[in-house]
Amino acid sequence: MNQFLQASVNGITLGGFYAVMVLGFAIIWGVMGVINLAHGEFVMVGAYLTWFLNKQYGWEPFLALLVVFPVMFVMGYLLQKILINRIIDRSYLISLLVTFGLSIIISNSFKLMFSATPRTVDTVLSSFWRVGGITIPMAKSVVLIMSLLMMAGLYLFLQHTRRGKSIRAAAQNREAARIVGIEIAAVYAFTFALAIAFTSASGTLISPIQPIFPFMGPALTLKAFAITAIAGLGSIPGVLLGGLLLGLIEVFVATYVPGIGTNLGVVASYVLLVVVLVVRPQGLFGSLRPAEG
Amino acid sequence: MTAVTQQQPLLEGRGVSKYFGGLAALSDVDFTVYPGEIMGLIGPNGSGKTTLFDCLSRVQDISKGQVFFKGEDITRKKPYQVAHLGLSRTFQIIRVYNKLTVIENLLLSQQWRNKGILKQLRPSGQQMEGRAKELTDFLLMSHVIKEKAGNLSGGQKRLLEIGMALMPDPDLILLDEATSGINPTLIETIKDRIRELNSKYNKTFLLIEHNIHFIGDLCDRVFVLDYGQKLAEGTPDEIMNNQAVIEAYFGADGDEGDDEYDE
Amino acid sequence: MVKFVQAWRKYRLGKWALALLILFLFLLPVPQFVAPEAKLVTNSLLFSLTQMFMLIILASDWNLIGGFTGYYDFGHAVFFGLGAYGTGVMMAQMGWAFVPALLIGAVVAAVFAILLGSATLRLRGAYFSIAMLGAFVAVREIIRVLRPITGGGSGLTLPPYLNRPLFYYVLLLFMIFVVWVIWWIRRSEFGYTLIAIREDEVGAEMRGINTTLHKIVVFTLAATFTGLVGGLWAYQNTFIDPDVVFFDSRTLDMVLATLLGGLGTVTGPVLGAVLIYWLRDVLWANFLQYHLIIQGLVLILIVLFLPEGVLGSFDPNSGTRIGGWVGKILREADGETEETANAAESVEAPV
Repeated sequence: MNQFLQASVNGITLGGFYAVMVLGFAIIWGVMGVINLAHGEFVMVGAYLTWFLNKQYGWEPFLALLVVFPVMFVMGYLLQKILINRIIDRSYLISLLVTFGLSIIISNSFKLMFSATPRTVDTVLSSFWRVGGITIPMAKSVVLIMSLLMMAGLYLFLQHTRRGKSIRAAAQNREAARIVGIEIAAVYAFTFALAIAFTSASGTLISPIQPIFPFMGPALTLKAFAITAIAGLGSIPGVLLGGLLLGLIEVFVATYVPGIGTNLGVVASYVLLVVVLVVRPQGLFGSLRPAEG
Repeated sequence: MTAVTQQQPLLEGRGVSKYFGGLAALSDVDFTVYPGEIMGLIGPNGSGKTTLFDCLSRVQDISKGQVFFKGEDITRKKPYQVAHLGLSRTFQIIRVYNKLTVIENLLLSQQWRNKGILKQLRPSGQQMEGRAKELTDFLLMSHVIKEKAGNLSGGQKRLLEIGMALMPDPDLILLDEATSGINPTLIETIKDRIRELNSKYNKTFLLIEHNIHFIGDLCDRVFVLDYGQKLAEGTPDEIMNNQAVIEAYFGADGDEGDDEYDE
Repeated sequence: MVKFVQAWRKYRLGKWALALLILFLFLLPVPQFVAPEAKLVTNSLLFSLTQMFMLIILASDWNLIGGFTGYYDFGHAVFFGLGAYGTGVMMAQMGWAFVPALLIGAVVAAVFAILLGSATLRLRGAYFSIAMLGAFVAVREIIRVLRPITGGGSGLTLPPYLNRPLFYYVLLLFMIFVVWVIWWIRRSEFGYTLIAIREDEVGAEMRGINTTLHKIVVFTLAATFTGLVGGLWAYQNTFIDPDVVFFDSRTLDMVLATLLGGLGTVTGPVLGAVLIYWLRDVLWANFLQYHLIIQGLVLILIVLFLPEGVLGSFDPNSGTRIGGWVGKILREADGETEETANAAESVEAPV
């Protein structure tokens, strides 16, 4: 029973991270129709920035959000203007290939700069809470709380601000949005910048609880795709549920499949991905934008 | 053009319905097409004509009801299986393969008759190429046989589509606005060809048409859809004088919007 | 120029040039047998060419499913890996001879392609691409986990057999065979059925084509060829582990070569593979640290500025400036030799 509870707690904390990690991916896909294969690399970049501030200046990892978010917002904005803008209206192969190329460039540049050695980030939140027979690392619970706060913030932003509403309008019907006077190019640039900032911020969140290395990206991109496929686009509660589902599955596979469990996390998420895509292509909780064209 | 009654129907729909979310594109439509007929399908824009064709050729799922073709239930069959049974169609928005030549387009639409992929590995089947040549003669296109379909005019593409529909020697051909966007001479050609196919080769046609003279000249019977429901059925003359039909087309709330259900 | 094109056609110079090239490639290792000490042709040159032939085959396979059928497979290297491991496990763990082990490798790749394809080929567009990328990563992890069979992360060592000229000839013949098969497919009804699936799959289905069956057949064919290359590679490399076999950029090489040469052409992937191999050699020799970064940049630049590929840009229908110029010359040449013109060109134009 304790093992089960412990696995559930671990799964939920992991799932909370997944949910916030996947938001940027789902937004870029939903609003701009671009599937960002460099998504995981932006998580990695955020994590490395945090690690750098932590090692160099002794910053507490969660404090690094104050730097990571604005810096990556600007990076995202520039990247959209220089590169992504050129591929928005082209076939999906083009956007897949360009972002694939981008992911290779980013991950290998980071390998050059910081070597392939896995890095860890120190935090003062290294103690545990004990509830009954289960232990909850403080850092993980803070990550979960931060994830939920960030998601809630994004949700409120999209629902209640003028900017947020124009993003949702552009996602639903670009032509109509243009007709009612929404400047699509500006919306896209802002959306991409925001999504990249969120993605990198999730890298900050993961940094105290997992080792960081330059090639951590592709597995995360794949999970982002799996979760988006499960959740459907355009539904933040769906993303939360999808993230939790994936987190729980991974932890339970690791706990209950003897011996070889931990490495099968990626496999579990992949199997889930294919099953969901084949059985219910529009996602479990919403409708996916058609990826053809 | 003989009057056909008491025969086994070639195509029969019973209560065919199609819903898109809460919207009923077709509701409880019954129809029968008998062998050797030319049947017209008319209705204002958005009345569900193309949706019905899509359901018959099985690219759209049928939400409710059943469709029988040659006595066989095709409600749940796959599109290619329906084609193999002898039902072929053309499209309102032309769907030829622009990057293939005319003859390749024609051979393609009959390629399944080869039975098996290994046989498709021959550069080309002689007897089939013969048939494709015959068809291009029949449709007055033999001079463009090696041309890429993308280089053809709109009218020629329509003819090519009809050719592609005829290639597998089907029993029933669904024509979706075969005359739209082409010149009057070509319309006459198409009319002659349909007549010849019907009388000489006993092909059955179901055609969606806006050109009322075309319908009047060709069809034995016509049925009318409006808002996804069957409004009337009868000979062309009966239909032209039917009050409900006239209202649907020209009436006070005659909705002439162009929101046709198609891709 | 017009005269040249006419002469080219009249004397079928294309065929002669191809025959000469093949003859040259066959005779190339001969100095190695006759006068090895002269070092006219070194083993390392033969090794390089062997690697290049492999890349040509891999790119051609990818083109079959990606270029002809329009299903962009972002994890095609999974079949390379399965072929390599199928062969490697049979040789290292079961002590089989190479040839039967290679066949097992090919069968593993083919069976996996049928099973995986039946699920993933139902997906359209990007969903297929990413499902395949997922398959690639997942299989790599599974192989890492199945330590008792695959040796896990520490890999397997195959009995070494270092006969460079033999590998050279085997790969040369295999490459010629694969390109020939694809050229044949392109001319056949099967080939333009694939193109029809790429251009309008629903339309093809309504015209009586069992598109799922066609997709699975072509996918399995491409996977089998790729698996055979994987098996040959494993034997030649004498060592396999999950990271060298499922190397991250292996699929990228195939995609890059195909795009650079021209998607959906027979000769495009061949030309592209030669260029990519050469580029990679230069990069490896001079910028070992940066070669992947540069490869990523090249990918982005090709996609943005040369979407038709090198060969595709020469196609009169491509709308490029070079294409227009080629078209003009061809039309002038056509003026005088009408009948010989069509036959040769129609096969090579990208479709």
